[in-house]
Amino acid sequence: MPRDQELAQGIIRGDRESVVRLTREELDAGREAVGILNEGLIPGMDVLGERFARGEAFIPELMAAAKAMNAAMEILRPLLEASGVESLGKVVMGTVKGDMHDIGKNLVCMMLRGAGFEVIDLGVNAGAERFIQAIEESGARLLGMSALLTTTMSRMGGIIEEIRKSRAGAGVRIAVGGAPLDLAYANKIGADGYAKDATVAVECFKGLVAALRTP
Amino acid sequence: MSSGRAGMTPRERLRAAMDHKAPDRVPIDFGSTSTTSIAALAYEKLKRHLGVEAETRILAKQGQVAYVDERILEMFHVDTRPLLLGPPENWNDIWVDPLTYEDEWGVQWQRTEESNSYFLLKGCFEGDGRGTIEALRDFRWPDPGDPARYRGLRDKAREFREKTDYAVVLTSAASFWAEAEWMRGFGDFYSDLVTNKRFIHALLDRILEVRLEMTVRALNETRGYLDVMLAGDDLGTQDRPMISPGMYEEFVKPRQKLLFEAMHKAAPDAKLLYHCDGCIDIFLPHLIEIGIEGLNPVQVSAKNMGDTARLKREFGKDLFFWGGIDTGRVIPFGTRGEIFEEVRRRIDDLAPGGGYVLNFVHNVQDEVPPGNVCAMFEAAMEYGRYR
Repeated sequence: MPRDQELAQGIIRGDRESVVRLTREELDAGREAVGILNEGLIPGMDVLGERFARGEAFIPELMAAAKAMNAAMEILRPLLEASGVESLGKVVMGTVKGDMHDIGKNLVCMMLRGAGFEVIDLGVNAGAERFIQAIEESGARLLGMSALLTTTMSRMGGIIEEIRKSRAGAGVRIAVGGAPLDLAYANKIGADGYAKDATVAVECFKGLVAALRTP
Repeated sequence: MSSGRAGMTPRERLRAAMDHKAPDRVPIDFGSTSTTSIAALAYEKLKRHLGVEAETRILAKQGQVAYVDERILEMFHVDTRPLLLGPPENWNDIWVDPLTYEDEWGVQWQRTEESNSYFLLKGCFEGDGRGTIEALRDFRWPDPGDPARYRGLRDKAREFREKTDYAVVLTSAASFWAEAEWMRGFGDFYSDLVTNKRFIHALLDRILEVRLEMTVRALNETRGYLDVMLAGDDLGTQDRPMISPGMYEEFVKPRQKLLFEAMHKAAPDAKLLYHCDGCIDIFLPHLIEIGIEGLNPVQVSAKNMGDTARLKREFGKDLFFWGGIDTGRVIPFGTRGEIFEEVRRRIDDLAPGGGYVLNFVHNVQDEVPPGNVCAMFEAAMEYGRYR
């Protein structure tokens, strides 16, 4: 359907106005929100994600696309909720205590939302108690944690341990990211996943969703 | 390594290295700029470790970066000395709350209760509907003519030149991209590069106008006394530049060209050192073309920047390298042996024939054990000698 291609192209170009206009037009024409999302918008994000993975797209393209996606989701979210369509999963996200860097983390949040996740963004400087509280309140089974400083990266292991020890945190899948980290470090501190950038984070959380479903 | 001259002064040593000639040993920087020093808490530990009693003076407020005491600089055989612009007298930072202040660019910085460093909180043009030409026109821009910025600069520079043998490094005001990111906020700034280009061009022009005047004034003040002038704007992430080569050529390069030309004109005898973190090797040919002579920091933990032998091979004729000692893993977490190995490797890769100034990739962070800092300088003396 050419309208879907137009929607996808709008996302790829980061053209918020045309994405919003097309979304409204499709809804007015009687189309279901879930179709617009899954057949128009998400394929656009996927194309861009692939380009980013190949090194052909950069931060501005991702940011503009994510903003266009978010603008469309503002319109679609109430409709999706009303019709009982579930998100891919709820993710609690935050930059760890002592660290106020949020550029990378915000990009991950935007990309996750763009891929169909519900994100509860705790912002920066989040300690174990805030992560645990957010899991309790939201019932999220996925959690993402970011650090930019080597100082705060060193605290991630302790925070993960505290979350796992809490009642709400048992069984929650935790992914970590941030410039000073690597896979080996993520494994060492007991994380379930590691992502080196925002597009890999989407794949990482999709994998963790699948893992949650596997008994 | 090939033979170098013996018994050079620090200034001669740095000058030789920057001229791609082998000095007597690899010159060492520590504390000469806002990105090559040490965070205040790490500095406290270092002072205790070395038994040096001194007051901690802050060199850069945002990152709470410290000036390093002269006794420590001498202990570590540091060849450089810092020169920085002063704060303006017609502007006082506004304290929004005890942990948050707003600077003269309208950018709010916040620290956590336990941390010393300030982090970006909010820009004055951040948010929907704020990225407009009108908003730029209505903003109260910093005054580059504020005399306090340059007060004492000339005397200090002359004193270094006439009374010491050290090389003088000016952290000039030569940046514009960072301020633009901060003023508009990262999310809005980067999406505007796609969807609101006219605003971004106007924003960059306006910032450049202020920054260029500050830079040229500072260079005029210090004319004849300066060895290195630092410019800088971060354009890299861990695995790629922030922006595409096309965007670099559209938004950054023409403005950098203007800035760098003005700098060379104002200080023809100083070397232009450019600070840019991250993976930016694909921009290096452009940067060389428009006048940079040295690259700081060579962030070896970023993609394409770790193979320092390759960087030397491809760009070493045109660029001197300043930094290179990994602060992502080796310095905070490495053993003494690993630190020695890192220093040896970077010297082997980058120092042949001159062209290398040894320093940490970035300011030493709070958690770094002081013994690791000392090990780096010991290794520098052990391996840095040209034979």
